[in-house]
Amino acid sequence: MVGHRLEMKIRSVRFLVIPAAILVFVTAVIPLIVLATSVIDKADIFSVWTHSSVRRALVFSLWQALLSTAFTIFLGVIATWHLSRYQFFGRRTFIALVTVPFVLPTVAVGAAFIAVLPKALHHSILAIVLAHIFFNISIVVRTVGPRWNSIDDQLIDSARTLGASPLQTWRHVIMPLGKNAIFSATALTFFMCFTSYGIITILGGPGLATVDIEIYRRAVQLGDLSGATVLAIAQMLLIALTFLLWSRSRSTELVLFRAQAISHRRLSLAPKCFFLALAAFFTVPLLALLAASMRTRDTWSLTGWKVFLGIQKQRGIDFNMWQAIQTSGKYALIASCIALPTGIAATYALSNRRSSHSRLSAFVILPLAISPVVIGLAILITYDFQPFDFRSSWLLIPLVHAAIALPFVMRSALPVVEGIPNDLRCAASTLRAGPWRRFLTVELPLLKPAISTGLAFSLAMSLGEFGATSFLTRRESRTIPIIIASLFGKAGDIPRTTGMAASLVLIVTTAMIVITIDRKSHT
Amino acid sequence: MSLIIDNISFSYGDRAILNKLSLEVPTGTTTAVVAPSGVGKSTLLRIIAGLLTPSSGSIILDGKNLSLVPTHLRSIGMVFQDNQLFPHLNVYDNVMFGLRMAKTEKKIASERCRDLLELVGLSQIAKQSVDTLSGGESKRVALARALAPSPILLLLDEPLTGLDSELHDRLAHELQRILHATSTTALLVTHSIHEAEIISDSIHHLQ
Repeated sequence: MVGHRLEMKIRSVRFLVIPAAILVFVTAVIPLIVLATSVIDKADIFSVWTHSSVRRALVFSLWQALLSTAFTIFLGVIATWHLSRYQFFGRRTFIALVTVPFVLPTVAVGAAFIAVLPKALHHSILAIVLAHIFFNISIVVRTVGPRWNSIDDQLIDSARTLGASPLQTWRHVIMPLGKNAIFSATALTFFMCFTSYGIITILGGPGLATVDIEIYRRAVQLGDLSGATVLAIAQMLLIALTFLLWSRSRSTELVLFRAQAISHRRLSLAPKCFFLALAAFFTVPLLALLAASMRTRDTWSLTGWKVFLGIQKQRGIDFNMWQAIQTSGKYALIASCIALPTGIAATYALSNRRSSHSRLSAFVILPLAISPVVIGLAILITYDFQPFDFRSSWLLIPLVHAAIALPFVMRSALPVVEGIPNDLRCAASTLRAGPWRRFLTVELPLLKPAISTGLAFSLAMSLGEFGATSFLTRRESRTIPIIIASLFGKAGDIPRTTGMAASLVLIVTTAMIVITIDRKSHT
Repeated sequence: MSLIIDNISFSYGDRAILNKLSLEVPTGTTTAVVAPSGVGKSTLLRIIAGLLTPSSGSIILDGKNLSLVPTHLRSIGMVFQDNQLFPHLNVYDNVMFGLRMAKTEKKIASERCRDLLELVGLSQIAKQSVDTLSGGESKRVALARALAPSPILLLLDEPLTGLDSELHDRLAHELQRILHATSTTALLVTHSIHEAEIISDSIHHLQ
């Protein structure tokens, strides 16, 4: 009897994965199947690789991703170690400064580097690598930080009393304990850099195009859907491999790294200098963005801001920024309303991992393994015929945003859900709380940190999403990142300064949302 | 030759923890410092190990002032209150750790490691993960690990705290046997006079 009741319980929890599964099916699985089966011309499977632009894009994607990942991990590991183990002035602010860029809009980050770098470096590999470091260092801090933060000081002391020098302690204790997390951070950083789209749209140029850019160019500018699809599928397979390595490790929960109590060890001079340089690296581009938004040729001017706010009209710039802000806000709210409940419900279903659960888990996290550009292309092709001609429906974009945010919501919720002791549920049951009351009165309050982190992630990801949206957007439903990219595609000072102003507003808004929600969850 | 603690003082901010403490531990003996919680027993051991720097006074081991010697070069082993076994290493590799750091020849190191595991009665579980050990087994591994690099001095920080009374007494006698068998110079801090009486040759009270 007891066995039967437990069985029922597991089954009923499994049902919670259904909404997330439907979301992934509609936005990723069906479109990918349609993409793979309907538009590929068999000849293109081989011939597409003969195009020099494709080969260049592939080689460039690979080496810029390797270079960006190497620098990001190197700097990220040093920063993470000190942030997670040492107490120093401004540590909390620094954690916010380092961890927020990951959720910032990629096109806006690209714009910030245009603002800070001299013109000769605007479209260069250096600009791309710097922007990738800026954007991805938080992956290292978010994944490795909590791991190292949890190492007991005395464990390191015990290594020292056993004769391990500081270097040996690093090699034999600290690195092995952070190994899985570093490995995961490396795989995820590589994935983000390889599929970089928003940053390359702004900072790339001739010879500096990634596979994602080539997919967009083939599909939209050359009309070669078949070639674009072959590239998309090949890239997806490569990423799936990287992603498999990533998801193998359990230490990959992306959390907003908490500035929790640590030992009172003080920083020596060299790390202090490192942090000063890193603080400058994270703040100077944003200050430069502010300055550049008010600078036309050699004079200071507020024209860019006036055009951005709709106070001044400018020929060739035909958007309504207020409408774009409204659209972005609406999409972000709807995407969060979809991603949060479905993500947390799915986490509940998957938190008790068995073999079937981990298969399901991989399935729900599928959108993470696919570049947003590929999702955009697949949806564009799939929902193009009656009765499924949803392309004109504005709801499609927030749905895709929700699917993209889903893995992040789940990854941040998983440790919290798994951390709720089963005895607590049992205690509530013995106090006559039914399943719903138990959830509302015991589990929901404990889930608060996961909900706020998930909310921060989903709002920020939707506000900044560019890859998939660039395929699905319509003239009347353009989001702020789409408008920023189009402004940077125009010649002249005024579109550029307007783009800078829009980028700054988007960066500040996103950062404030993430920091505020995170602070709230602390209190 | 012995350990001489000479006029050691230490404070956390304004709060004085140790005030001009002096103590001597003769070679080959076990000395116990007995004191209630919060009077700086662990702090004393951490100062001797070089994990904390005293505000004044000096530590002299075998005639050598240790003030400027970093922890890893002091040749002082320590058994921590909660063992601090390396979670990413199994029992054998935990015991081998200090020998590897000292770059001891592999054959000699593994022989020493096996001998110590036998001495503490854990040969059967050498390849086991440390997560699976009981409280008593973890204590034994921590002791074997600290003894492996043949330290000049062994520090024991409340080594038997948290064990049930039967296991506590059994391990206390075992610990006394092992320290004598290895002729180790040891300094034990504990709040239990009973524990000190079983393990040590002399007892000091710290107020």
